[in-house]
Amino acid sequence: MADIRVEGLRKEFKDVVALDDVTFAFADSQVTCLLGPSGCGKTTLMRIIAGLERPTGGEVYFGDQRVTHLPPRKRNIGMVFQYPVVYRGISVAENIELPLKSEKLSKQERAQRVEEVVHLLGLGASVDKDITQLDNGTRQKVAVARAVARQPRIILFDEPITNVDAEAKLQLKRAFKELTRRLEQTIVYVTHDQTEAMTLADQIALMNEGRIAQCDAPRALYNRPADRFGGWFLGNPGMDFFDAELGPGDGTGRGGATLASPLFGAPLRVGGLPPGAGRTVTVGIRPEHVRVAPAAGADGRGPLAVEGELLRKSISIGRQYLLGLRVGDRTFKAKVAPAVGEALPASGPVLVELPLNRVALFGTDGRRLDATLTPAGAGLPVAAGTA
Amino acid sequence: MATSWRQHLYHLLLWLIALAFFAPVLWIFLGAFKTAGQLVSWPPRWVTFSPTFDNIREVFARENFWSYFRMSFVLSIGSVLIALVVSFLAAYCFSRYKPTGTNFLMFLLLSVRMVPAPAVVVPVFLMYTAFGWARTFTGMLLFYVMFSIPFSLWILKGFLDGVSLRYDETALVNGGSRLHVIFRVVLPQVKPGLVAAAIFNLIFVWNEFLFNYVLGGEATMIPVLLAVGVNSGGSVDWSFIASLSLIYTLPPIIAIFLFQKYLLVGMTFGTVRGEV
Repeated sequence: MADIRVEGLRKEFKDVVALDDVTFAFADSQVTCLLGPSGCGKTTLMRIIAGLERPTGGEVYFGDQRVTHLPPRKRNIGMVFQYPVVYRGISVAENIELPLKSEKLSKQERAQRVEEVVHLLGLGASVDKDITQLDNGTRQKVAVARAVARQPRIILFDEPITNVDAEAKLQLKRAFKELTRRLEQTIVYVTHDQTEAMTLADQIALMNEGRIAQCDAPRALYNRPADRFGGWFLGNPGMDFFDAELGPGDGTGRGGATLASPLFGAPLRVGGLPPGAGRTVTVGIRPEHVRVAPAAGADGRGPLAVEGELLRKSISIGRQYLLGLRVGDRTFKAKVAPAVGEALPASGPVLVELPLNRVALFGTDGRRLDATLTPAGAGLPVAAGTA
Repeated sequence: MATSWRQHLYHLLLWLIALAFFAPVLWIFLGAFKTAGQLVSWPPRWVTFSPTFDNIREVFARENFWSYFRMSFVLSIGSVLIALVVSFLAAYCFSRYKPTGTNFLMFLLLSVRMVPAPAVVVPVFLMYTAFGWARTFTGMLLFYVMFSIPFSLWILKGFLDGVSLRYDETALVNGGSRLHVIFRVVLPQVKPGLVAAAIFNLIFVWNEFLFNYVLGGEATMIPVLLAVGVNSGGSVDWSFIASLSLIYTLPPIIAIFLFQKYLLVGMTFGTVRGEV
């Protein structure tokens, strides 16, 4: 249909910079989630794409067409807002049909389109009901159906399931997944909920402070965050971070640097550091990747395992256990499988290991360093954060 | 038990107050059905009289009564309709575009209605005379339009603020023009506000006498009816006043009865609504 490109997009509200020189392309016929914390500019970006806000600078293109100065109605888009926008006093079917009436469509074609989207969203049971009889989740479905029925080339979703209750949320998420899989339009979906983004997106554009920090497929984004922000924002809880100082190379002539930390049972060799990388780095690991074992059962203890202390243990979603750990003077979190968690004492000494292929290194500017970590003196290097 | 006993007392009190306030109205209504002698007799006759419809029949039979009565309707309904169109569009602008000084302008408009009428009747009369609008039907109609706009604007802005901006935006994105948004999307949602504003101002305009008397003169004829009718044969014609009061009070009473729930939302300026 059409991809969306924004070039050098800037938006200022009085003294706040909502968008800071964003250049980005939303891939044609794909679902791109704009994910980020509140106030990161994701909604502003979407509203500029819709034409509801004028950018302070920069351009918006749909395919080859420059649309920066077109009013919303000439952009051929559909949009769904946070609050279900439905018209009272008319039935669900009439709600969906309403915008179609201003287009040159035959009555049969209108009816057919309504029927299609009703079927697509599973609204069959409520077609003839009045809007006031529906709950918020169903109303939102109606709003989505209305946007889809027009068959615009681009559909924008602005946190469409934030304001429905938990049960309906799941149901809507499933309906959206089904819907977006079938639609061929370019879809932009704004959300601050990472599980939503992970479920629905072909690719996630992570936004922070008015910029797009990273855009990648959900899994890649999770496994290889481009900066500390990505590591912290994605995941529940986010990455654990530790500051570390790199030592000079180990003199084997293979270059790089060494990393000695109480978190690792042995000194590490850091290879492939980009030139100019500082000596101070941040070591990051996702809590679910930290390996924890009872101190007593020391069999199968990895060479990098260190002794630590379990501070507290609590049960979390899916019977996983959330652990508070301390190694040396550093405290951090870990998340372990039910079986592992049950075997652990409520508190006390444990063995902690950070698998090298899960560890990411970040530079002082917060960007990820493409470095490899290997136990000093070992053979083949392991690329940091490849899983 | 104590609460129920108190509640009864409270209700009794409310009834007494209501009756005390209604008594003069009742007196004038009853007067419409009495002969001139019974009306002024002492001690006052509340029930001991044989009702007669002669007074009312006589008012109806008066020369030009029906054209005067029609003029009342034309002026009230006409001016309120014009005022509604103007204030709905103005309220939409204030609510959606929030021009600089919106709050001050809104206050200024309402303050027009805070000034007591006798304080402004002379300046307005001078202005109308200077413009040549005095004693014209259009001038009178426009005066009542101006008279109705502030309150309508306040009510409608309250209602429009209660309609989420997302409605406008959804319609715009879905291919609607601004006019489509205003009249097809937003307007249906503030219908209760429009009804409330209409009823309020119909009653205000219907009841207005002073400006009509000073500005309208023969052009609108209503005060003439009173002026001619009140004095008959050197004394005040109380029967006439009573019958005319009855006839002129009935339309607003019926309107209030039919639209009381809208009057209530009108008094809260429609502001008690959540985001949709």
